[in-house]
Amino acid sequence: MNITVCAKQIPDPASEITYDNGLISRPEEQVLDDTDRYGIEIALQLKEKYNAEVTVISMGPAGTQKGLQQALQMGADKTLYVDDDSLKGANSLMTASVLSELAKTTEADIVIFGTESTDGYTGTVPQQVARFLKLDCISYIKAIEISENVTLTRQTLEGSEKVIMPQKCILSVTAGGVEPRYPNFKDIMAAKQKPIEKVELSSLTMNASQNLEFLDIQQLENSKNGETIVDEGDAYQVVIEKLQELKVI
Amino acid sequence: MKTLILGEVIDNKLSSGTLEIINKANDLELDFNVVTVGSSDTPALGSITFHQTYIKRSAESLQFNYVADKLLQIIQEQNISLVLAPSTYQCRDLVSFLSVDLGSSPVSNVINFDIQDGSVITTNLINGGESVYKTKIRSSHSLLLIRPKSFDAIDIELNDDYETTEVENSSIEIFDVVKEEKSGPQLEDSKIVISAGRGMVEKENLSLIEDLANKLNAAIGGTRAIVDAGWMPYSQQVGQTGKTVKPDVYIACGISGATQHQVGMKDSKFIIAINKDAEAPIFQLADLGIVGDTLSVIPKINDNI
Repeated sequence: MNITVCAKQIPDPASEITYDNGLISRPEEQVLDDTDRYGIEIALQLKEKYNAEVTVISMGPAGTQKGLQQALQMGADKTLYVDDDSLKGANSLMTASVLSELAKTTEADIVIFGTESTDGYTGTVPQQVARFLKLDCISYIKAIEISENVTLTRQTLEGSEKVIMPQKCILSVTAGGVEPRYPNFKDIMAAKQKPIEKVELSSLTMNASQNLEFLDIQQLENSKNGETIVDEGDAYQVVIEKLQELKVI
Repeated sequence: MKTLILGEVIDNKLSSGTLEIINKANDLELDFNVVTVGSSDTPALGSITFHQTYIKRSAESLQFNYVADKLLQIIQEQNISLVLAPSTYQCRDLVSFLSVDLGSSPVSNVINFDIQDGSVITTNLINGGESVYKTKIRSSHSLLLIRPKSFDAIDIELNDDYETTEVENSSIEIFDVVKEEKSGPQLEDSKIVISAGRGMVEKENLSLIEDLANKLNAAIGGTRAIVDAGWMPYSQQVGQTGKTVKPDVYIACGISGATQHQVGMKDSKFIIAINKDAEAPIFQLADLGIVGDTLSVIPKINDNI
Protein backbone atom coordinates (compact mmCIF):
# COMPACT_ATOMS: atom_id res chain seq x y z
CA MET A 1 0.00 0.00 0.00
CA ASN A 2 1.17 3.53 -0.75
CA ILE A 3 0.37 6.23 1.73
CA THR A 4 0.89 9.87 0.84
CA VAL A 5 0.75 12.77 3.26
CA CYS A 6 0.46 16.39 2.21
CA ALA A 7 2.58 18.75 4.26
CA LYS A 8 3.24 22.45 4.08
CA GLN A 9 6.22 24.54 5.08
CA ILE A 10 5.16 27.76 6.80
CA PRO A 11 6.99 30.70 8.41
CA ASP A 12 7.74 29.94 12.06
CA PRO A 13 4.45 30.85 13.83
CA ALA A 14 6.48 32.32 16.71
CA SER A 15 7.93 34.99 14.42
CA GLU A 16 6.06 38.03 13.15
CA ILE A 17 4.29 37.55 9.83
CA THR A 18 5.04 40.13 7.15
CA TYR A 19 3.35 40.60 3.80
CA ASP A 20 4.56 41.51 0.35
CA ASN A 21 1.83 42.76 -1.99
CA GLY A 22 -0.75 40.77 -0.06
CA LEU A 23 1.24 37.54 0.06
CA ILE A 24 2.80 36.18 3.23
CA SER A 25 6.57 36.73 2.98
CA ARG A 26 8.25 33.35 3.13
CA PRO A 27 11.73 33.31 4.66
CA GLU A 28 14.37 30.83 3.39
CA GLU A 29 13.87 28.78 6.52
CA GLN A 30 10.30 27.60 7.03
CA VAL A 31 9.04 24.96 9.42
CA LEU A 32 6.60 22.07 9.16
CA ASP A 33 3.04 23.24 9.85
CA ASP A 34 2.04 21.71 13.19
CA THR A 35 -1.33 20.82 11.66
CA ASP A 36 0.47 18.38 9.35
CA ARG A 37 2.07 16.49 12.22
CA TYR A 38 -1.31 14.90 12.95
CA GLY A 39 -1.62 13.66 9.38
CA ILE A 40 1.93 12.33 9.39
CA GLU A 41 1.28 10.52 12.68
CA ILE A 42 -1.76 8.76 11.24
CA ALA A 43 0.24 7.84 8.13
CA LEU A 44 2.94 6.30 10.32
CA GLN A 45 0.38 4.31 12.33
CA LEU A 46 -1.08 2.97 9.06
CA LYS A 47 2.45 2.26 7.77
CA GLU A 48 3.00 -0.06 10.72
CA LYS A 49 -0.23 -1.96 9.99
CA TYR A 50 0.15 -2.30 6.24
CA ASN A 51 3.92 -2.24 5.95
CA ALA A 52 3.36 0.66 3.58
CA GLU A 53 5.66 3.30 2.17
CA VAL A 54 4.93 6.86 3.33
CA THR A 55 5.63 9.68 0.88
CA VAL A 56 5.32 13.33 1.85
CA ILE A 57 4.22 15.69 -0.92
CA SER A 58 4.46 19.45 -0.69
CA MET A 59 4.03 22.59 -2.74
CA GLY A 60 5.63 25.98 -2.10
CA PRO A 61 9.03 27.66 -1.79
CA ALA A 62 11.37 24.87 -0.59
CA GLY A 63 14.06 27.19 0.86
CA THR A 64 16.29 25.33 3.31
CA GLN A 65 13.82 22.41 3.30
CA LYS A 66 13.72 22.43 7.11
CA GLY A 67 10.01 21.65 7.25
CA LEU A 68 10.38 18.79 4.79
CA GLN A 69 13.25 17.41 6.90
CA GLN A 70 11.03 17.60 9.97
CA ALA A 71 8.43 15.43 8.20
CA LEU A 72 11.12 12.86 7.35
CA GLN A 73 12.43 12.97 10.92
CA MET A 74 9.04 11.87 12.19
CA GLY A 75 9.38 8.73 10.06
CA ALA A 76 8.15 9.40 6.51
CA ASP A 77 10.22 7.59 3.85
CA LYS A 78 10.67 10.23 1.16
CA THR A 79 9.50 13.64 -0.04
CA LEU A 80 8.38 14.99 -3.39
CA TYR A 81 7.89 18.71 -3.78
CA VAL A 82 6.96 21.32 -6.35
CA ASP A 83 8.53 24.77 -6.07
CA ASP A 84 7.73 27.10 -8.93
CA ASP A 85 7.53 30.90 -8.99
CA SER A 86 4.40 30.79 -11.11
CA LEU A 87 2.55 29.24 -8.15
CA LYS A 88 3.04 32.32 -5.94
CA GLY A 89 -0.36 33.29 -4.58
CA ALA A 90 -1.95 30.09 -5.95
CA ASN A 91 -5.55 29.67 -4.84
CA SER A 92 -6.76 26.53 -3.08
CA LEU A 93 -8.00 24.91 -6.29
CA MET A 94 -4.62 25.36 -8.02
CA THR A 95 -2.90 23.96 -4.93
CA ALA A 96 -5.26 20.99 -4.89
CA SER A 97 -4.65 20.40 -8.60
CA VAL A 98 -0.86 20.27 -8.13
CA LEU A 99 -1.14 18.02 -5.06
CA SER A 100 -3.56 15.68 -6.89
CA GLU A 101 -1.10 15.29 -9.75
CA LEU A 102 1.75 14.68 -7.30
CA ALA A 103 -0.38 12.08 -5.47
CA LYS A 104 -0.93 10.33 -8.82
CA THR A 105 2.82 10.02 -9.34
CA THR A 106 3.10 8.26 -5.96
CA GLU A 107 0.25 5.87 -6.92
CA ALA A 108 -1.24 6.69 -3.54
CA ASP A 109 -4.00 4.51 -2.09
CA ILE A 110 -4.53 6.78 0.89
CA VAL A 111 -3.78 10.52 0.87
CA ILE A 112 -3.77 12.24 4.26
CA PHE A 113 -4.07 15.94 5.14
CA GLY A 114 -4.43 18.18 8.17
CA THR A 115 -7.80 19.95 8.01
CA GLU A 116 -6.42 23.42 7.23
CA SER A 117 -3.01 25.08 7.10
CA THR A 118 -2.08 27.52 9.84
CA ASP A 119 -1.33 30.36 7.40
CA GLY A 120 -3.79 30.13 4.49
CA TYR A 121 -6.54 28.49 6.51
CA THR A 122 -8.91 27.82 3.59
CA GLY A 123 -9.71 24.28 4.80
CA THR A 124 -10.80 23.14 1.35
CA VAL A 125 -7.76 21.44 -0.22
CA PRO A 126 -8.29 17.85 1.08
CA GLN A 127 -11.84 17.74 -0.30
CA GLN A 128 -10.76 19.30 -3.60
CA VAL A 129 -8.01 16.67 -4.02
CA ALA A 130 -10.61 13.96 -3.30
CA ARG A 131 -12.85 15.32 -6.03
CA PHE A 132 -9.96 15.65 -8.51
CA LEU A 133 -8.93 12.04 -7.82
CA LYS A 134 -12.56 10.81 -7.70
CA LEU A 135 -12.02 9.23 -4.29
CA ASP A 136 -14.12 9.30 -1.14
CA CYS A 137 -13.14 11.94 1.39
CA ILE A 138 -13.31 11.07 5.08
CA SER A 139 -12.98 14.54 6.57
CA TYR A 140 -12.46 15.94 10.10
CA ILE A 141 -11.10 12.72 11.63
CA LYS A 142 -10.70 13.09 15.37
CA ALA A 143 -9.75 9.53 16.35
CA ILE A 144 -8.41 6.37 14.73
CA GLU A 145 -8.57 2.77 15.95
CA ILE A 146 -6.43 0.29 14.08
CA SER A 147 -7.34 -3.40 14.45
CA GLU A 148 -8.47 -5.77 11.70
CA ASN A 149 -10.20 -2.79 10.14
CA VAL A 150 -9.32 0.86 10.52
CA THR A 151 -12.14 2.72 12.28
CA LEU A 152 -12.21 6.49 11.89
CA THR A 153 -14.23 8.82 14.11
CA ARG A 154 -15.40 11.97 12.31
CA GLN A 155 -16.17 15.24 14.05
CA THR A 156 -19.64 16.48 13.09
CA LEU A 157 -21.57 19.63 13.92
CA GLU A 158 -23.63 17.87 16.57
CA GLY A 159 -21.10 15.33 17.87
CA SER A 160 -19.32 12.49 16.08
CA GLU A 161 -19.78 9.43 13.88
CA LYS A 162 -17.67 6.47 12.80
CA VAL A 163 -16.79 4.87 9.46
CA ILE A 164 -14.53 2.03 8.35
CA MET A 165 -11.66 3.32 6.20
CA PRO A 166 -12.03 2.18 2.57
CA GLN A 167 -9.09 0.73 0.59
CA LYS A 168 -8.60 3.95 -1.33
CA CYS A 169 -9.58 7.37 0.02
CA ILE A 170 -8.57 10.84 1.19
CA LEU A 171 -8.42 11.61 4.92
CA SER A 172 -8.38 14.97 6.69
CA VAL A 173 -7.30 14.89 10.31
CA THR A 174 -8.14 17.43 13.03
CA ALA A 175 -5.64 18.57 15.64
CA GLY A 176 -5.76 16.61 18.87
CA GLY A 177 -7.01 13.39 17.24
CA VAL A 178 -3.70 11.63 17.69
CA GLU A 179 -0.50 12.45 19.57
CA PRO A 180 2.24 13.22 17.01
CA ARG A 181 5.52 11.45 17.80
CA TYR A 182 8.73 13.32 18.58
CA PRO A 183 11.78 12.23 16.63
CA ASN A 184 14.84 11.14 18.64
CA PHE A 185 18.47 11.74 17.68
CA LYS A 186 18.60 8.55 15.62
CA ASP A 187 15.48 9.57 13.66
CA ILE A 188 16.97 13.00 12.99
CA MET A 189 20.22 11.49 11.67
CA ALA A 190 18.35 8.86 9.59
CA ALA A 191 16.21 11.57 7.94
CA LYS A 192 19.34 13.10 6.38
CA GLN A 193 19.74 10.01 4.19
CA LYS A 194 16.15 10.02 2.93
CA PRO A 195 15.38 11.31 -0.57
CA ILE A 196 13.91 14.77 -1.12
CA GLU A 197 13.05 15.08 -4.80
CA LYS A 198 11.94 18.15 -6.72
CA VAL A 199 9.24 17.62 -9.34
CA GLU A 200 9.03 20.15 -12.17
CA LEU A 201 5.65 21.83 -12.45
CA SER A 202 5.91 21.50 -16.25
CA SER A 203 5.75 17.70 -15.88
CA LEU A 204 2.33 17.92 -14.21
CA THR A 205 -1.06 18.77 -15.71
CA MET A 206 -2.63 21.91 -14.23
CA ASN A 207 -6.40 21.63 -13.95
CA ALA A 208 -7.19 25.00 -12.34
CA SER A 209 -6.50 28.67 -12.84
CA GLN A 210 -6.37 31.87 -10.80
CA ASN A 211 -9.87 33.28 -10.39
CA LEU A 212 -9.24 35.31 -7.22
CA GLU A 213 -7.81 38.79 -7.58
CA PHE A 214 -6.17 40.26 -4.52
CA LEU A 215 -7.34 43.83 -3.93
CA ASP A 216 -6.21 44.81 -0.46
CA ILE A 217 -4.95 43.57 2.90
CA GLN A 218 -5.42 45.05 6.32
CA GLN A 219 -4.03 43.91 9.62
CA LEU A 220 -6.74 43.87 12.26
CA GLU A 221 -6.30 46.47 14.96
CA ASN A 222 -7.31 44.91 18.21
CA SER A 223 -6.17 47.44 20.75
CA LYS A 224 -9.15 48.67 22.74
CA ASN A 225 -7.35 50.65 25.45
CA GLY A 226 -9.59 49.12 28.07
CA GLU A 227 -9.10 49.51 31.80
CA THR A 228 -6.53 47.16 33.36
CA ILE A 229 -6.23 46.49 37.07
CA VAL A 230 -3.59 44.47 38.89
CA ASP A 231 -5.31 42.24 41.44
CA GLU A 232 -4.23 42.88 45.00
CA GLY A 233 -6.97 40.74 46.49
CA ASP A 234 -9.99 42.92 45.83
CA ALA A 235 -10.21 43.15 42.02
CA TYR A 236 -13.26 40.86 42.24
CA GLN A 237 -15.19 43.91 43.50
CA VAL A 238 -14.44 45.81 40.29
CA VAL A 239 -15.72 42.87 38.26
CA ILE A 240 -18.94 42.67 40.29
CA GLU A 241 -19.50 46.43 40.01
CA LYS A 242 -19.00 46.23 36.26
CA LEU A 243 -21.43 43.30 35.96
CA GLN A 244 -23.99 45.35 37.92
CA GLU A 245 -23.40 48.36 35.70
CA LEU A 246 -23.94 46.13 32.64
CA LYS A 247 -27.15 44.95 34.31
CA VAL A 248 -26.28 41.25 34.11
CA ILE A 249 -26.68 40.86 37.87
CA MET B 1 -27.16 37.61 -9.70
CA LYS B 2 -28.81 34.17 -9.57
CA THR B 3 -27.85 32.78 -6.18
CA LEU B 4 -28.02 29.50 -4.33
CA ILE B 5 -27.82 29.51 -0.54
CA LEU B 6 -26.60 26.16 0.72
CA GLY B 7 -28.25 25.64 4.07
CA GLU B 8 -28.00 23.27 6.97
CA VAL B 9 -30.43 21.75 9.48
CA ILE B 10 -29.81 21.86 13.22
CA ASP B 11 -32.37 20.67 15.76
CA ASN B 12 -34.93 20.21 12.96
CA LYS B 13 -34.70 23.87 11.89
CA LEU B 14 -32.66 25.95 9.45
CA SER B 15 -29.32 26.63 11.18
CA SER B 16 -28.56 30.14 12.40
CA GLY B 17 -25.67 30.35 9.90
CA THR B 18 -28.18 29.78 7.10
CA LEU B 19 -30.59 32.42 8.45
CA GLU B 20 -27.71 34.93 8.67
CA ILE B 21 -26.87 34.42 4.98
CA ILE B 22 -30.54 34.71 3.96
CA ASN B 23 -30.69 38.06 5.74
CA LYS B 24 -27.63 39.35 3.88
CA ALA B 25 -28.98 38.04 0.55
CA ASN B 26 -32.19 39.99 1.20
CA ASP B 27 -30.19 43.14 1.99
CA LEU B 28 -28.35 42.84 -1.32
CA GLU B 29 -31.64 42.06 -3.10
CA LEU B 30 -30.18 38.87 -4.56
CA ASP B 31 -32.43 36.53 -6.52
CA PHE B 32 -31.92 33.38 -4.45
CA ASN B 33 -33.14 29.85 -3.81
CA VAL B 34 -32.25 27.81 -0.76
CA VAL B 35 -31.07 24.21 -0.90
CA THR B 36 -30.70 22.60 2.48
CA VAL B 37 -28.84 19.38 3.23
CA GLY B 38 -29.64 17.37 6.33
CA SER B 39 -30.70 14.00 7.66
CA SER B 40 -33.75 15.01 9.77
CA ASP B 41 -37.09 13.50 8.68
CA THR B 42 -39.41 16.50 8.68
CA PRO B 43 -37.51 19.67 9.49
CA ALA B 44 -39.10 23.13 9.42
CA LEU B 45 -37.22 24.80 6.60
CA GLY B 46 -39.58 26.48 4.21
CA SER B 47 -40.73 30.05 4.01
CA ILE B 48 -43.17 31.93 1.84
CA THR B 49 -40.37 34.31 0.91
CA PHE B 50 -38.08 31.88 -0.95
CA HIS B 51 -38.05 28.61 -2.83
CA GLN B 52 -36.51 25.73 -0.96
CA THR B 53 -35.24 22.26 -1.87
CA TYR B 54 -34.31 19.81 0.86
CA ILE B 55 -31.71 17.19 -0.01
CA LYS B 56 -32.34 14.54 2.61
CA ARG B 57 -29.20 12.57 3.16
CA SER B 58 -28.97 9.29 4.99
CA ALA B 59 -27.62 9.38 8.54
CA GLU B 60 -26.15 5.92 7.86
CA SER B 61 -24.15 6.56 4.70
CA LEU B 62 -21.39 9.01 3.81
CA GLN B 63 -22.85 10.39 0.59
CA PHE B 64 -21.44 13.88 0.23
CA ASN B 65 -20.08 13.12 -3.26
CA TYR B 66 -23.62 12.29 -4.40
CA VAL B 67 -25.04 15.34 -2.64
CA ALA B 68 -22.48 17.48 -4.50
CA ASP B 69 -23.55 15.85 -7.80
CA LYS B 70 -27.15 16.81 -7.05
CA LEU B 71 -26.13 20.37 -6.16
CA LEU B 72 -24.17 20.67 -9.39
CA GLN B 73 -27.26 19.60 -11.31
CA ILE B 74 -29.36 22.27 -9.56
CA ILE B 75 -26.69 24.94 -10.19
CA GLN B 76 -26.64 24.11 -13.89
CA GLU B 77 -30.42 23.82 -14.29
CA GLN B 78 -31.08 27.10 -12.51
CA ASN B 79 -28.14 29.02 -14.04
CA ILE B 80 -26.74 29.81 -10.61
CA SER B 81 -23.62 31.98 -10.57
CA LEU B 82 -23.23 32.69 -6.83
CA VAL B 83 -23.16 29.99 -4.11
CA LEU B 84 -23.27 31.11 -0.47
CA ALA B 85 -22.72 28.64 2.36
CA PRO B 86 -21.96 28.79 6.08
CA SER B 87 -18.43 27.67 6.91
CA THR B 88 -19.40 24.40 8.62
CA TYR B 89 -17.95 20.89 8.23
CA GLN B 90 -20.62 19.69 5.84
CA CYS B 91 -20.74 22.83 3.71
CA ARG B 92 -16.94 23.02 3.49
CA ASP B 93 -16.91 19.50 2.02
CA LEU B 94 -19.73 20.22 -0.42
CA VAL B 95 -18.45 23.61 -1.62
CA SER B 96 -14.93 22.19 -2.08
CA PHE B 97 -16.30 19.36 -4.24
CA LEU B 98 -18.32 21.85 -6.29
CA SER B 99 -15.28 24.10 -6.75
CA VAL B 100 -13.53 21.32 -8.69
CA ASP B 101 -16.59 20.68 -10.88
CA LEU B 102 -17.09 24.41 -11.58
CA GLY B 103 -13.37 25.23 -11.92
CA SER B 104 -13.69 28.09 -9.46
CA SER B 105 -11.63 28.34 -6.28
CA PRO B 106 -13.88 29.17 -3.31
CA VAL B 107 -13.18 32.01 -0.88
CA SER B 108 -13.05 30.74 2.73
CA ASN B 109 -13.53 32.61 6.02
CA VAL B 110 -15.65 35.32 4.42
CA ILE B 111 -16.94 37.91 6.90
CA ASN B 112 -18.60 40.25 4.39
CA PHE B 113 -19.28 40.53 0.67
CA ASP B 114 -20.79 42.81 -1.90
CA ILE B 115 -21.57 42.85 -5.61
CA GLN B 116 -19.84 45.58 -7.64
CA ASP B 117 -20.30 45.88 -11.42
CA GLY B 118 -21.43 42.27 -11.60
CA SER B 119 -18.44 40.88 -9.66
CA VAL B 120 -18.42 39.50 -6.14
CA ILE B 121 -15.99 41.26 -3.78
CA THR B 122 -15.33 39.49 -0.48
CA THR B 123 -13.78 40.48 2.81
CA ASN B 124 -12.14 37.37 4.22
CA LEU B 125 -9.89 36.47 7.14
CA ILE B 126 -6.44 34.95 6.59
CA ASN B 127 -3.64 33.72 8.80
CA GLY B 128 -5.86 32.66 11.69
CA GLY B 129 -7.80 35.91 11.60
CA GLU B 130 -4.75 38.13 12.03
CA SER B 131 -5.42 39.97 8.76
CA VAL B 132 -8.28 40.58 6.34
CA TYR B 133 -8.16 40.39 2.57
CA LYS B 134 -10.36 42.03 0.01
CA THR B 135 -10.74 39.66 -2.93
CA LYS B 136 -12.44 40.05 -6.30
CA ILE B 137 -13.78 36.86 -7.86
CA ARG B 138 -13.17 36.72 -11.60
CA SER B 139 -14.82 33.43 -12.59
CA SER B 140 -18.32 32.75 -13.90
CA HIS B 141 -19.19 31.05 -10.62
CA SER B 142 -18.43 32.56 -7.21
CA LEU B 143 -18.31 30.24 -4.19
CA LEU B 144 -18.25 31.73 -0.68
CA LEU B 145 -17.81 30.00 2.68
CA ILE B 146 -19.09 32.47 5.25
CA ARG B 147 -18.07 32.55 8.90
CA PRO B 148 -20.93 32.29 11.37
CA LYS B 149 -22.16 35.50 13.09
CA SER B 150 -20.94 37.67 10.22
CA PHE B 151 -24.50 38.96 9.78
CA ASP B 152 -27.62 39.09 11.96
CA ALA B 153 -30.00 36.17 11.51
CA ILE B 154 -33.29 36.88 9.75
CA ASP B 155 -36.36 36.41 11.91
CA ILE B 156 -38.87 34.47 9.80
CA GLU B 157 -41.51 31.88 10.41
CA LEU B 158 -40.52 28.51 9.04
CA ASN B 159 -42.99 26.01 7.60
CA ASP B 160 -42.90 22.68 5.85
CA ASP B 161 -43.41 24.07 2.36
CA TYR B 162 -40.45 22.69 0.41
CA GLU B 163 -39.50 20.01 -2.06
CA THR B 164 -37.62 16.97 -0.77
CA THR B 165 -35.16 14.98 -2.82
CA GLU B 166 -32.86 12.11 -1.87
CA VAL B 167 -29.53 10.78 -3.10
CA GLU B 168 -28.22 7.22 -3.34
CA ASN B 169 -26.20 5.60 -0.56
CA SER B 170 -22.44 5.27 -0.88
CA SER B 171 -20.45 2.16 0.04
CA ILE B 172 -19.26 3.88 3.24
CA GLU B 173 -21.53 3.14 6.18
CA ILE B 174 -21.82 5.49 9.13
CA PHE B 175 -22.22 3.98 12.60
CA ASP B 176 -22.02 4.95 16.29
CA VAL B 177 -23.48 8.42 15.75
CA VAL B 178 -23.05 10.49 18.91
CA LYS B 179 -24.94 13.70 19.64
CA GLU B 180 -23.22 15.72 22.32
CA GLU B 181 -25.55 16.58 25.18
CA LYS B 182 -26.73 20.16 25.31
CA SER B 183 -27.83 21.57 28.63
CA GLY B 184 -28.19 25.08 30.00
CA PRO B 185 -27.70 28.27 27.94
CA GLN B 186 -26.15 27.63 24.51
CA LEU B 187 -23.00 29.40 23.38
CA GLU B 188 -24.41 30.81 20.15
CA ASP B 189 -27.32 32.65 21.70
CA SER B 190 -26.45 33.30 25.33
CA LYS B 191 -26.11 36.95 26.40
CA ILE B 192 -23.23 36.05 28.69
CA VAL B 193 -20.39 33.66 27.88
CA ILE B 194 -17.69 32.57 30.31
CA SER B 195 -14.70 30.85 28.71
CA ALA B 196 -11.86 28.91 30.26
CA GLY B 197 -8.28 28.44 29.11
CA ARG B 198 -5.10 26.74 30.28
CA GLY B 199 -4.87 29.22 33.15
CA MET B 200 -7.55 27.15 34.92
CA VAL B 201 -4.63 24.70 35.46
CA GLU B 202 -6.71 21.53 35.77
CA LYS B 203 -10.07 20.19 34.72
CA GLU B 204 -11.42 20.03 38.29
CA ASN B 205 -11.14 23.83 38.54
CA LEU B 206 -13.78 24.23 35.84
CA SER B 207 -16.33 23.82 38.66
CA LEU B 208 -15.49 27.46 39.55
CA ILE B 209 -16.54 28.50 36.05
CA GLU B 210 -19.70 26.38 36.30
CA ASP B 211 -20.65 28.05 39.59
CA LEU B 212 -20.24 31.50 38.09
CA ALA B 213 -22.13 30.48 34.94
CA ASN B 214 -25.04 29.23 37.07
CA LYS B 215 -25.18 32.51 38.96
CA LEU B 216 -25.10 34.61 35.78
CA ASN B 217 -27.19 32.23 33.62
CA ALA B 218 -24.22 32.15 31.23
CA ALA B 219 -23.02 29.66 28.63
CA ILE B 220 -19.60 28.07 29.06
CA GLY B 221 -16.90 27.97 26.37
CA GLY B 222 -13.27 26.99 26.16
CA THR B 223 -10.09 27.37 24.14
CA ARG B 224 -8.83 24.80 21.69
CA ALA B 225 -6.07 23.86 24.14
CA ILE B 226 -8.49 22.69 26.82
CA VAL B 227 -10.83 21.03 24.32
CA ASP B 228 -7.86 19.09 22.89
CA ALA B 229 -6.92 18.19 26.46
CA GLY B 230 -10.38 16.66 26.90
CA TRP B 231 -11.66 19.07 29.56
CA MET B 232 -14.68 20.07 27.45
CA PRO B 233 -16.46 18.70 24.37
CA TYR B 234 -15.64 20.23 21.00
CA SER B 235 -19.11 21.78 20.84
CA GLN B 236 -17.92 24.27 23.47
CA GLN B 237 -14.78 25.40 21.65
CA VAL B 238 -14.69 29.12 20.87
CA GLY B 239 -12.40 30.30 18.08
CA GLN B 240 -11.36 29.90 14.49
CA THR B 241 -12.09 26.17 14.30
CA GLY B 242 -14.86 26.28 16.89
CA LYS B 243 -17.79 28.59 17.50
CA THR B 244 -18.04 32.32 17.00
CA VAL B 245 -19.87 34.13 19.79
CA LYS B 246 -21.06 37.73 20.16
CA PRO B 247 -22.57 37.99 23.64
CA ASP B 248 -23.20 41.18 25.59
CA VAL B 249 -20.54 40.12 28.10
CA TYR B 250 -17.64 37.73 27.52
CA ILE B 251 -15.53 36.71 30.49
CA ALA B 252 -12.18 35.14 29.52
CA CYS B 253 -10.71 33.17 32.43
CA GLY B 254 -7.07 32.12 32.19
CA ILE B 255 -7.02 32.63 28.42
CA SER B 256 -3.92 34.14 26.83
CA GLY B 257 -5.82 35.07 23.67
CA ALA B 258 -4.16 33.57 20.59
CA THR B 259 -5.51 35.11 17.35
CA GLN B 260 -7.29 31.83 16.64
CA HIS B 261 -9.29 32.30 19.85
CA GLN B 262 -9.83 36.03 19.29
CA VAL B 263 -11.56 35.38 15.95
CA GLY B 264 -14.30 33.56 17.84
CA MET B 265 -15.05 36.23 20.46
CA LYS B 266 -13.58 39.64 19.61
CA ASP B 267 -16.93 41.11 18.56
CA SER B 268 -18.45 40.53 22.00
CA LYS B 269 -19.90 43.81 23.30
CA PHE B 270 -18.01 43.90 26.60
CA ILE B 271 -14.97 41.74 27.30
CA ILE B 272 -13.61 41.02 30.77
CA ALA B 273 -10.28 39.18 30.90
CA ILE B 274 -8.67 37.63 33.96
CA ASN B 275 -5.11 36.37 33.48
CA LYS B 276 -1.89 36.15 35.48
CA ASP B 277 0.30 37.31 32.59
CA ALA B 278 0.07 41.08 32.13
CA GLU B 279 1.52 40.66 28.61
CA ALA B 280 -1.20 38.24 27.46
CA PRO B 281 -2.71 39.39 24.12
CA ILE B 282 -6.24 39.00 25.53
CA PHE B 283 -5.73 42.29 27.45
CA GLN B 284 -5.50 44.16 24.13
CA LEU B 285 -9.09 43.15 23.47
CA ALA B 286 -10.45 43.55 26.97
CA ASP B 287 -12.68 46.40 28.11
CA LEU B 288 -11.82 45.39 31.65
CA GLY B 289 -8.62 43.45 32.34
CA ILE B 290 -7.71 41.92 35.68
CA VAL B 291 -4.06 40.92 35.99
CA GLY B 292 -4.30 38.21 38.61
CA ASP B 293 -4.79 34.53 39.32
CA THR B 294 -8.12 33.37 37.91
CA LEU B 295 -8.23 30.65 40.54
CA SER B 296 -8.31 33.23 43.32
CA VAL B 297 -10.44 35.93 41.62
CA ILE B 298 -13.33 33.72 40.43
CA PRO B 299 -14.15 32.13 43.84
CA LYS B 300 -14.32 35.63 45.36
CA ILE B 301 -16.73 36.77 42.66
CA ASN B 302 -18.80 33.62 43.26
CA ASP B 303 -18.94 34.27 47.01
CA ASN B 304 -20.02 37.88 46.62
CA ILE B 305 -22.85 37.78 44.09
